[in-house]
Amino acid sequence: MEIELSIHHDGRNWVATDGDISIAAVTLDKLDRMVENELKSRGRLKSGIQTRVRMSFDIYTIPQWIRQYSQHYFNRVVVFEG
Amino acid sequence: MTTQDRKWYSGMLLQEDWWAVWLGVGFFLLGLLSIAGVDVLGWITYPRKWVFSLPAGATAKKIVTWQHAFYPLGGKYSLTAKGFYKSLGPIGGILLTYVVFTITTSIGAYFMRWDLKKYIAGWSIIFFLTYLTWFVGHHAFFSASVIDLRKSHFPPMFTMSLGGGASFILALIVGLSIGNFFKPLAKFLSTAAKPEWFIKTAIVFLGVKVGYLPIKAAATSQKLGHAVAGLTFDLFVAGAAATIVAYMVFWPGVYLIARKLFKLPRATAAVLGSGISICGVSAAVATGGAVRAKPVVSIMVSSLVVVWAVIELLVLPSFFTHVWPGTADPLVAGSAMGMSVKTDGADAAAGELLDEFMRTKVETETNGQVVWPAGVITTSAVMTKVWIDMFIGLWAFILAMVWVYKIDKRQGERVPFSEVWHRFPKFVIGYFLAWFIYLGIFFGPGHAGAADGMALLKSAKVGAVHVEKGMRKLFFMLTFMSLGIITDFTKLKQAQFGKMVWVYFVSLFFFIIPVAMLVAYLFHHGMVIPTLATAG
Amino acid sequence: MGSEEKQNMAQSGSLTSDALEVDDVLANTEEWSPVETKLVVWSFAIAIIALIVGLIVVPTSVLH
Repeated sequence: MEIELSIHHDGRNWVATDGDISIAAVTLDKLDRMVENELKSRGRLKSGIQTRVRMSFDIYTIPQWIRQYSQHYFNRVVVFEG
Repeated sequence: MTTQDRKWYSGMLLQEDWWAVWLGVGFFLLGLLSIAGVDVLGWITYPRKWVFSLPAGATAKKIVTWQHAFYPLGGKYSLTAKGFYKSLGPIGGILLTYVVFTITTSIGAYFMRWDLKKYIAGWSIIFFLTYLTWFVGHHAFFSASVIDLRKSHFPPMFTMSLGGGASFILALIVGLSIGNFFKPLAKFLSTAAKPEWFIKTAIVFLGVKVGYLPIKAAATSQKLGHAVAGLTFDLFVAGAAATIVAYMVFWPGVYLIARKLFKLPRATAAVLGSGISICGVSAAVATGGAVRAKPVVSIMVSSLVVVWAVIELLVLPSFFTHVWPGTADPLVAGSAMGMSVKTDGADAAAGELLDEFMRTKVETETNGQVVWPAGVITTSAVMTKVWIDMFIGLWAFILAMVWVYKIDKRQGERVPFSEVWHRFPKFVIGYFLAWFIYLGIFFGPGHAGAADGMALLKSAKVGAVHVEKGMRKLFFMLTFMSLGIITDFTKLKQAQFGKMVWVYFVSLFFFIIPVAMLVAYLFHHGMVIPTLATAG
Repeated sequence: MGSEEKQNMAQSGSLTSDALEVDDVLANTEEWSPVETKLVVWSFAIAIIALIVGLIVVPTSVLH
């Protein structure tokens, strides 16, 4: 199972969002755990099933003048055991 | 519309990188039509060296009067529409060039969701300022060499002998003046001042140049055509080896300097390591993402990179031409340039400047006995840069794995392999496509420059010249101008950068540039540029 | 991010170096770890291998 989230940085926190949920944390570690808990509480993680959460970076976080040089920051995948 | 790279084709209409491909390949394909006798690009308008009035006894050959300082290239090179393009005249040619590029780049700006009104206004100012600078820079006092003067039967006089380099320097000076002394104007122009977009497009045009070089040389002799084709391959192979060696020395070296000498945090040291090493902003962003640094790290390093890159652009071409290695090893100089000047824009611009300086110098030194084809030295500077642009994607992937699996381990995190593609510089697809297709024409239907292939090669030449000469030089000029506009030297004084400025200075001048020169020497020393003057 | 906000971001970007907390970019230096030694040594090792192979393989190198 796969869940798509968008991730960006607001200057202080990493923010993961998909329109339905929006979670912010200072470190990626904390963010992952909060996302896991949030998905669990909403029943989006099924027990016994591995879920891949794909976080694609929102490049509009980066100033426009820099985007002409490089258009990709990172995409990351976090695997949660249900 | 999405703003993330979720699929392999994400960003094809949203990114400058892809728009460089669309613009570059679009005009390259239109240029190819000349093989079928259709010349649609002859309007591109190009400068000549000029004076206000010809001295007694002089002829308007290499140097003309100011009214003829610009001409649509089709008026000289077209086989099928020479009369039409000639009739456009300089003003008509410039206006048509403006209209075509305003429309095509605005389509890109629209899809990239820029403020279109601001873009067109800024673009128009930059475009006409660029042509004005091109005009001034081509005055014989700045540009003409002793050989040019002699060919036009001018009496001996002092000139700066800078060739086309004078216009590039002038464009940079005009841009830097705006960027540093007229900041509100620079801010207004910033939507259209896109050096990296312009240079990526110009590098696709350069692909046409690399493929066309053997065709041009074959006009002198078939043997020379072969020699030039071989040289471009040598640059390709040596560039790859030099790039890998240099980068794998640069990155850990700068990382050590930043960590041990300047006591910077890991992520900052890693991003600086890539940013200072070769690739500049694109590497700083790629590595920042790879090591999961907060974006601010990449943004700060990038702000430094662009300023230092312009300082390199101002210093290195003259240094390599007049101090070391000089005209004895022009391709060592070009390759070293590619490995030491950050950002594609500043590097290609520095390579082009070096090309102009070196060719003028060798021609003067040998009294016209040695004439190097234009663009070979630029190609050597861009070749190493293209390799590193591709290599950084792979290196960022390796760093991401080291960071995610070893250094900053996080439970359950994986690094998707698709990252390599998302970080792949798309404009190099256009560059290689243009190069290999023209090379295919040379070795295929062009019969490698044999007599029975020459008719086809002559018609291929028409479209190629419009793109590789006219459009490429124009986009180089636009790059110089906009690089200046976005470069604000006061950034170096800002307290927030602190010791990063010094890490950069120490690493660049005492480590990166010397190592780049050494590595370039090891791999490129055996290369010789064939001369167009004495062959055949 | 909302679509209108994105339109704005397309022009500028939501982060600028002037508007950020930049302290931890230069401070909070971690201790040097053995993994970093490995990374640095391996990079240099790859460079040396690439240098030797390159000098042999590349026809225009100083060895030829």
